[in-house]
Amino acid sequence: MTVLEGGKISGRQFMAVLIVLRAVPLTLVFSLISNANHVQDVWITVIIGAAVTIPFAVLVTKLSLKFPGKTIIEYSQILLGPVIGRLLGLVILWCFLCTSIDITRGLGEAYVIAIMPETPIYAFMIMLAIMSCYAARSGLEVTCRLGEDVFYVLVFVLLLTYMLPYNAMRFENLRPILAWGVSNLVPPIVANLGYYSQFLVIGMLVPYLNKPEDATRYAIYAVLISGVLMALAAVALVAVFGPTANSWTLPLFSLSRMISLGDFFERIEAAVMAAWTLSTAIKLSLLFWAISLTIAQLFNLKAFEHLMYPLGAITVALSLSFFESMVDLEDFLAKAGAMSSILVAGLTLALLYAALGVRTVIRRRKGGSG
Amino acid sequence: MRVRRYMRVWAFLAIVPVVLSVTGCWSRREIEDIGFALSIGVDHAAEEGEIMITVHIAKPFAISTGVTGAVDEKPFWQVSSTGHTVFEAWRNLRQQCPRRPLLHHSRFIVFGEEFARGGIREAIDFFSREGEVRETNTVVVAKGVKASEVVWNEFELERMPAEGALGIMKIAVQELSTTVMVTLNDFLQMLETEGHEATTSRAELVRRPPSEDPRGELKRETISVSGRETGAAAFKGDKLVGWLDKTQTRGLQWVKGKVRSGIIVIEQPEEENKLASIEILRADSTVTPKISNGHPSILIRVGALGNLGEVQEYFDPMESQETWTSMERRMAEVIRHEIEAALDIAKLEFDSDIFGFGAEICRKYPKEWTDLKDKWDEEFPKLDVEIEVEASLRRSGLTRRSMRVVRNEGG
Repeated sequence: MTVLEGGKISGRQFMAVLIVLRAVPLTLVFSLISNANHVQDVWITVIIGAAVTIPFAVLVTKLSLKFPGKTIIEYSQILLGPVIGRLLGLVILWCFLCTSIDITRGLGEAYVIAIMPETPIYAFMIMLAIMSCYAARSGLEVTCRLGEDVFYVLVFVLLLTYMLPYNAMRFENLRPILAWGVSNLVPPIVANLGYYSQFLVIGMLVPYLNKPEDATRYAIYAVLISGVLMALAAVALVAVFGPTANSWTLPLFSLSRMISLGDFFERIEAAVMAAWTLSTAIKLSLLFWAISLTIAQLFNLKAFEHLMYPLGAITVALSLSFFESMVDLEDFLAKAGAMSSILVAGLTLALLYAALGVRTVIRRRKGGSG
Repeated sequence: MRVRRYMRVWAFLAIVPVVLSVTGCWSRREIEDIGFALSIGVDHAAEEGEIMITVHIAKPFAISTGVTGAVDEKPFWQVSSTGHTVFEAWRNLRQQCPRRPLLHHSRFIVFGEEFARGGIREAIDFFSREGEVRETNTVVVAKGVKASEVVWNEFELERMPAEGALGIMKIAVQELSTTVMVTLNDFLQMLETEGHEATTSRAELVRRPPSEDPRGELKRETISVSGRETGAAAFKGDKLVGWLDKTQTRGLQWVKGKVRSGIIVIEQPEEENKLASIEILRADSTVTPKISNGHPSILIRVGALGNLGEVQEYFDPMESQETWTSMERRMAEVIRHEIEAALDIAKLEFDSDIFGFGAEICRKYPKEWTDLKDKWDEEFPKLDVEIEVEASLRRSGLTRRSMRVVRNEGG
């Protein structure tokens, strides 16, 4: 059988693309804060989210390490048999596709809302899709190398955005903490875990690491770093906007508009928009790569590069028709979308580990009898 | 050959979108087609239930002051427009404005007194929702007049009204502390924070009748109506309830720890009818709420540092340490009076918690606050507020003792 993807990525690139993967909704809509009733507690929900995600990421990685050189699509067929395994593969595929639809629409909406309300949204979405398809066609290595660079740019821009509005910050806005009961933490945690469940893509990446044994470590780093980036975002947003922090459609964009240093260093939203575009493009090309590889492995195709452009077209078309409006999109991201991806990720993992357990037991018995 | 022909077709098809898109983006705006509105004022219109906005729009061709000297033309144009909502009024401006007006560079959002007394809720949403308006705009209420009159106040030292007003605002906040500078972001937060009522700066008209003495006039015109930023407007909910004068405003700023500088005038110790000025260097404050037996109380601690700036009678600090400390005491006393003045008007006249004491209680006692917040209107005027001021004088300027005036009566 021909090797579909021959690229190898380093541990740091693996970590970088995972962080970019998580940071994309953060740079656009920050569902954690827009769904919080009491914004003071959001940074706590980030910590809880990271605490739940680390075991998840470790489990996905460990599972992949048990099947060296095989993606989650391949070994689920080994574990669950060709029929159920393929069905599970289709569900995962659907999840990846949904995510790429969300973010394509999200970036388009962000552009239209923030700066160019008259421009038709598909203008941005098509450009984004072409860019991402082009990168994804060149293989995983290219996407991940690019992803590492984008990661540095992203961290730089985010830290700048968090720190520079310091003259508008009032840290007393962060109090009181946890004053309204734990039930208020649920919606932001759901939104957070919804995005983190996209870390299922680890199952596609681990076989292509040049040192797969590093995967666990870097997966944990990815959760921690993205957690820190989000916690800082929550703190900066609440310090600057106080109780109005959950009213903004594009919180980080609005935050960057507050930057005004000495009457000359202002209007640096362009940097935030660059961060949106770059990180969304990387995330999308990673997802396009994962989707095409999934399709190829599900249906035993010999190559997967040719799927990219049609896939891009489908994504743009679906993202235009999926959501009526920005409100619709945000509602989906925070509720139905988040819940369903948590469900898929959790069930996938449970199912695969159950199958693994059963297999081990059967093997042991066979070994015992034979 | 066939292959090459196909390639050409493809290349042509690929070039078309590129060529179409290099002409500029869809939402492009040429600088020649734009009019930058620098302040926007909101009033009730003459028609019942309509809103009038007034903007002043920069005239770029009249701003340039090249080698040829100043341009005589007024560098801005003030224009009003009405509509049922702020957004409609803003769009209706296009009936009169030959260039597309934009709010990207606006500095001020001004509410007329009458409008603010009726509540600004119906007008404020536009400013946070519309992407053109920055949250760093300063919110101002015009005292006694419509916003339309204040928006284009001219100033002698700046050509643009908004730049002039912004200059005054910044300097007054830095060096006088007798006004507040409230950005749109601050204002929205104060409106939304429980137990913290909003305040904004207060803009007034200053009338300076033209001089009778046009001495040596070659070409000279004075601005007879100008602006002043002083004091503060106090809100309760979204409604303007009254004004703080300069003293009360500085009282408010002491409590909020926002006094930057300013002059405190005290009576000079050991002299009769002589005054001394103290320049405030910096100040800080802590507001500590306490709840005992269900009754809230507030402790305000203010620390202030000052320099002796001026005395009206001979003074040598080396002669008596006592005089120096007595000056510090008097400085603390003035600060206390200013705070009390602000407290009194807020409690007794406005019944509006412009200091954010309720918010402080909410931060420290969130559970108790849930019961307290519904009756905060009754509790706030009865609130026990303890004020501790610690003032210290640091330096006495370039002179240690004053210069003496020696009377030589005999000869």
